[in-house]
Amino acid sequence: MEEYLTRLGDGKPIRQTKKQIYDDLNEGTKNMAEKAKVPELTSGDLEYIAEIIMAPTRIVSVKPGNEVVMTHDVGPLKIMADQSNSGVNVPCSREQAMSIYERIIASDSAELGHIDYSFKPVKPIVSQEQSVLQNVLQMTTLPIFYGAMPNLGLYYAPDGPFPEPIALIRNRKMEDAKAAMNGAAERFIEDILYMTTRLYAVGLDALNIDTTAAAGDPDFWAVLHGTEKLKKECPELCIEMGMSGEFILGFHGELKYNNVRLAGLWPHQQVKLAEKAGADIFGPVVNTKPGKSFAFNIARATTAVKECVKVSKIPIHVNMGMGVGGIPMFETPPIDAVTRANKTMIEVAGVDGV
Amino acid sequence: MGMPIAHGIAGGIGGIRTAGDLVARCEMTKMRLKDAKKYVANKLGIDVSCIADEFTMRKLREDLDICTITGVPNVARHLEAKSRIADILGIKIRSVDHLKLKMKV
Amino acid sequence: MQNEEVLLEKLYNAVMDQDIETAKKSAEAIVKSKASPEKALQRASAAMSKLGELFDSGEVFLPQVVIASDAIKAVSDVLLPVMPASAKLAAKPGKYVIGTVEGDVHDIGKGIVATMVESAGFELIDLGRDVPLKLFLEKVKTEKPAIVGLSSLMTVTRTNQKVFIEMLKKEGLRDRVKVMVGGGATTGEWASQIGADAWGEDAPSAVKKALELVRKKK
Repeated sequence: MEEYLTRLGDGKPIRQTKKQIYDDLNEGTKNMAEKAKVPELTSGDLEYIAEIIMAPTRIVSVKPGNEVVMTHDVGPLKIMADQSNSGVNVPCSREQAMSIYERIIASDSAELGHIDYSFKPVKPIVSQEQSVLQNVLQMTTLPIFYGAMPNLGLYYAPDGPFPEPIALIRNRKMEDAKAAMNGAAERFIEDILYMTTRLYAVGLDALNIDTTAAAGDPDFWAVLHGTEKLKKECPELCIEMGMSGEFILGFHGELKYNNVRLAGLWPHQQVKLAEKAGADIFGPVVNTKPGKSFAFNIARATTAVKECVKVSKIPIHVNMGMGVGGIPMFETPPIDAVTRANKTMIEVAGVDGV
Repeated sequence: MGMPIAHGIAGGIGGIRTAGDLVARCEMTKMRLKDAKKYVANKLGIDVSCIADEFTMRKLREDLDICTITGVPNVARHLEAKSRIADILGIKIRSVDHLKLKMKV
Repeated sequence: MQNEEVLLEKLYNAVMDQDIETAKKSAEAIVKSKASPEKALQRASAAMSKLGELFDSGEVFLPQVVIASDAIKAVSDVLLPVMPASAKLAAKPGKYVIGTVEGDVHDIGKGIVATMVESAGFELIDLGRDVPLKLFLEKVKTEKPAIVGLSSLMTVTRTNQKVFIEMLKKEGLRDRVKVMVGGGATTGEWASQIGADAWGEDAPSAVKKALELVRKKK
């Protein structure tokens, strides 16, 4: 029986028969449909994805006419950064890195960010970021995003002024924990406003809020309110809200936005709140399961994202970095898997960008 | 870097090599992909199928003076190109408006 | 007198509902009816595992998991005194030392695992984050834990998990403790490669594997 080269979610090469691929596709779509309460992929979808997986070439691509916009998390920073930013350590300035993204990678957009890629640490050096941004805006043609993470964990002790809420929860100090989470969220909103208004003042096109909700529902609450406030202060700013996980972890459990409880929301529900807050682009995340096959993972991810695309009024740029969107959780994701995941998300889920 | 390059080749429009930056700017105003492509095609006077086509776009970008990916002397680039892109697409580009502010235009 | 299954089901539901008072009363009723306290504890633990899975799929939230663990504690306080010594020992999984490895300051995921592990009955020793490997080693010697859990979110710091296992071998302590690794930078493959005993893909599976490791040891 013929076997096809494919991957596990951790990048390991495996061989599967057509039946095994179909079984895993079915298992993946059912898994997500059940968890997120969304429709399973159609049999036509699954057949198309199976053909993509079984394609004999190393690299696959979309059909002409189906190309989408690429936006980036971290992006040009990868050129000079170290391993912790998935970087390749080529010495160059951030301005040069942006030019490389424009003229060598031929990307559709580029993102400026700091090595310490969170809003809180960058706040004290905002003038440096403004200066570099001014240079970049004058030496690029691409739309330029400024990217950073909310990283609400930095607002908790020992890095920040608020006590660590999980420790408080473990000690049964529930109200203190909620107060800490609320305090951190409010402080983040101040910081994102501080940073972004200053970057906007020197001509920033767009903001990318990366890994939204990494610290659970207080993090998502903070980003939604921050986005809402930013849209008032910076009305011409495009805001891309990129998520960190497939559903919102409930650390607080009672936080709501627009009367909707945030804990437990899946991508097709998250995007509606992002829209309400004023986000212009939404980046859903579906986590790759390292022990499961590529077929399982891509079917699972596509099921969630397809529904997100269907209900959204704003462009969907699915997160397809390491370990998300069907991409293997491996430092150098194999390009056979990357291109297959890319084609699937574009032609089956119907995303507006990657 | 292999991953973003692989993504770009597999499914990206192609940036300033084609019309990727232009479609991106339209998506940034909340336009969905199909609408953004149609809008750009309409403004450039081309068929939607040519949006990611190097054969069409290389010459068109030079003719419209909106930056080419190769370094052609005297073809608009960067802020020059962005000011022309803003006019052609009928959109606001903040760094262009910022320059006009500085020039008191 | 209600039959055993009805009582067990009532106990299970009380833990699922995070109803400490009803859970305690159900446990007392089980003791009074002379139904099996071991079965009761197992059923209560099954509810805890289910809640862990529900947390991991976004249907239940962290404060609820913690309150449910208080229900488990209330149940254990009632059932353990009437259990035979051997069963009591089996019901206490032991100490679990956890921390994020040296050089890594990420601790949200580790915090969730710590909360779940404690809720499952382990005596938790949380060393925090950016924990020097020497401190993990010291705790193995002084606390004699059943398991040491090392978290790492970055590929640059996960090598410390490997280094720690080598340190245990060098000190002749490798057989005395089970090592579990987890965090965004790790995979099952990585765990096997470095000789760890288990990999925690997420909080519920970390708890499940921790309990399995402890059962195997006994």
